[in-house]
Amino acid sequence: MNLFRSEEHMQRWLASRAPGATIPVDRLSELAHAWWDDRVSPDWRPHTRDQNQAILDRLRLTGDFWRLPNS
Amino acid sequence: MDGDDLSLRNLTYARLLERGRAPTAAEIAAATGRSLPEVVAGWERLHAEHGLVLDRVTGEIVMANPFSGVPTGYRVQAAGRWWYGNCAWDAFGICAALHADGRIETSCPDCGQPLRVRVRDQRPDDPGLLFHCLVPAARWWDDIVFT
Repeated sequence: MNLFRSEEHMQRWLASRAPGATIPVDRLSELAHAWWDDRVSPDWRPHTRDQNQAILDRLRLTGDFWRLPNS
Repeated sequence: MDGDDLSLRNLTYARLLERGRAPTAAEIAAATGRSLPEVVAGWERLHAEHGLVLDRVTGEIVMANPFSGVPTGYRVQAAGRWWYGNCAWDAFGICAALHADGRIETSCPDCGQPLRVRVRDQRPDDPGLLFHCLVPAARWWDDIVFT
């Protein structure tokens, strides 16, 4: 899960790899804040799979690539 | 995750925040009055439930997501300290978890040049950067260190 300077740099790095999914960094920040916001709260409880999937869905990270496992 | 393990997990995170680094099992045992084997067994259960990631040899913390227990290529300055993140997602996650603005320092995997991003009010100051995730969500925990 890496950060790249530009599309050109990312495509060069991916040349010898099977590509995954790309999102702009501002959307990554949105995702990180939704995902990790409660992580050090003294009242933290584990997210369920459905809670995490809802975060991805809300940020329009959909399709097979962003589908969490059921178990 | 039962109540005892949840308590152990939350105490482990609290100690991480106090010290600015991942605590050792011995430190948690001393802080809680639990025996070292009790802490190790509890951490193992948390590892199995993805609550922590342990080094398979030493049994110590490698990841307390989004924080890394070991130095990485993602350094984050937030809430008055420097931290290590496990990846780009976790680097932003440290700002999120601490509810703080921050500065992320890493390098472009292609060219190796430094990348520095300031995060203010949850927004990065360089919107031209791109995040790439190689591994599909269904396989993130197959090998979380690689992911």
